[in-house]
Amino acid sequence: MLGYIWHYVYSSFLRHWLKWLIRQVTGQCELQRICSTYKPGAPRTSRAEHSLRSSKSKVLREALESNRDKLEQRVEEIIKVKNIKPQKDPLFKGSLHVCLLQITGYSSLCVSVEDLRKKVFDSEDQDHEAMLFNLWGLLMPTVKLESRMTKQWGDIGFQGDDPKTDFRGMGMLGLINLVFFSENYTEEARQVLSHANHPKLGYSYAIVGINLTEMAYSLLRSGALKSHFYNTVEGTPELQHFHQLYCYLAYEFDKFWLAEEPESIMHFNQYREKFHDKIKTLLQEPDVGLRLTVQSGKK
Amino acid sequence: MSGLLSILRKLKSTPDQEVRILLLGLDNGGKTTLLKHLASEDISHITPTQGFNIKSVQSQGFKLNVWDIGGQRKIRPYWRNYFENTDLLIYVIDSADRKRFEETGQELAELLDEEKLSGVPVLIFANKQDLLTAAPASEIAEGLNLHTIRDRIWQIQACSALTGEGIQEGINWLCKNVNSKKK
Repeated sequence: MLGYIWHYVYSSFLRHWLKWLIRQVTGQCELQRICSTYKPGAPRTSRAEHSLRSSKSKVLREALESNRDKLEQRVEEIIKVKNIKPQKDPLFKGSLHVCLLQITGYSSLCVSVEDLRKKVFDSEDQDHEAMLFNLWGLLMPTVKLESRMTKQWGDIGFQGDDPKTDFRGMGMLGLINLVFFSENYTEEARQVLSHANHPKLGYSYAIVGINLTEMAYSLLRSGALKSHFYNTVEGTPELQHFHQLYCYLAYEFDKFWLAEEPESIMHFNQYREKFHDKIKTLLQEPDVGLRLTVQSGKK
Repeated sequence: MSGLLSILRKLKSTPDQEVRILLLGLDNGGKTTLLKHLASEDISHITPTQGFNIKSVQSQGFKLNVWDIGGQRKIRPYWRNYFENTDLLIYVIDSADRKRFEETGQELAELLDEEKLSGVPVLIFANKQDLLTAAPASEIAEGLNLHTIRDRIWQIQACSALTGEGIQEGINWLCKNVNSKKK
C-alpha cells in the first residue's frame, strides 16, 4: 500500500519536479541526458521509451505511435517543444531518431507477426502448398515425397498424413518459421532433425517447431523481446529478425533437450517451461542479444 | 480447546472431492481446446500437444483434474501410462473428419477393452459441431456401435470446443456420474 502511494506521488508530482530541477542544473532535458549517458541499444532505447511514454507533452507521447516515414518530423517537433539547441548537442537528433525507429518498429513488427499468425494454411493456395513441399525438399533432399497425403510427413515431425491440421493457432507463421530455418541454416536444421528422430531422445521436429513459434510469438507480445531487438537491430526490426529469433530458439532448444536427457517425449511441456524460463532470464539482461552461433563458425 | 478447534474445522467447508479425468482421442480432435475452454483460458494460440497438459477445474463441489494427452499415433502407446486410478474418461472425436471415423472407433474400442479402465464411465464428445460438414452425434453413435457398450455407463454429447456449445451439458453428466464406476 505504501509502495503504491509512493509510486503515485512519485509519478504524478515528484518525477516532474525532479526533472525540472535537474534540467535547470544541467541545461539538458531528460531525453538528452538519456541519449548522452547510455550506450545505443536497450539501455538507451528502453529509457527513452519510458521517458516518452510518461511525458506530460502530447507531442512526445504521440511520437511513439507515429509512422516510420513521419519520424524525422516528430524528432524535429520534440526538439522544438523541448527547446533543445542542436548546435549544443549535435548527436541528439540522430540518437533519438534511432530510438524511435526501434520503438515504433517493435509495435509494427507485432502487427506483421499477428497478420501471419492469423493467416490460415490453405491447401487450395498454391503458394502455401509450394512452401510445404519446399520444407520437405530442404529437410529431406534425398527422399521423394510419394504423395500429398502420406505418412512420410511424420518423418519431419508432423502428426498425421496431412500437415495442414498441425499449424492451428500459429497459422502461416509456423510454416514460414520452419522454412526460414531450413533455408538459412540448412545444415543446422538437418542436424536438429536428426536429433529429433533419435529413437529414445527424439521429439516431433515440426510440431515442436510450431510450439517454439508460439514461444517466440508470446515473448514478442509480452514485450519481453524489446531488449533483444533494441540491442541487435539498429533501426526498425523486421519480420526476418523475428524469424532469426525463431532459428535461435529451435537450435538452442534442441541442444537443451539433448543435454537434459528427458525420460520420454511425454515430459515435453515440463522441459519446454524450463527452457522458456531460461530464455526469459536471458532477456532480462540489459545487453541481451540472442543470436544463433554455429559451432563451426560458418555464419 | 480441542473442542473449539474441531468446531472450527467443521465450519470450514469440506474440501472438494478430487476426480481424475482422462481426455483422449486422435490428434486434431480438439482435446486441448476443450481443456482450455474448461479452464476459461484463451483458445486462439493453441499448438499440437507434445506430451500432455493438465489442468484442475472446480465444478459442482468437485476438483476435476483433467489430463489432456497428445493424440498423434506416435505417442498413443504412452496413453496406458495414465490409466491408473482414472475416475472418468472423455473421448473426443472430430465430427467433421469422416475419413478417420474408423481409426477413432478402433482406438476407442481398444480403450474400452483396457483392464485398468474397466467400468470407468465414458463421455464421448462429438466435437466441431460448428463446422457445416460435421456428422451429427446420433450418426457417430451408430457408426461406433455405442449401443453395444454394456460394461459401463456412457454418453455421447454433441459440442463445439470453439464456441463452447454443449460442453457444460457434458460436464454436468460427468459430475452426476462421478461415483458410478462399476466395480
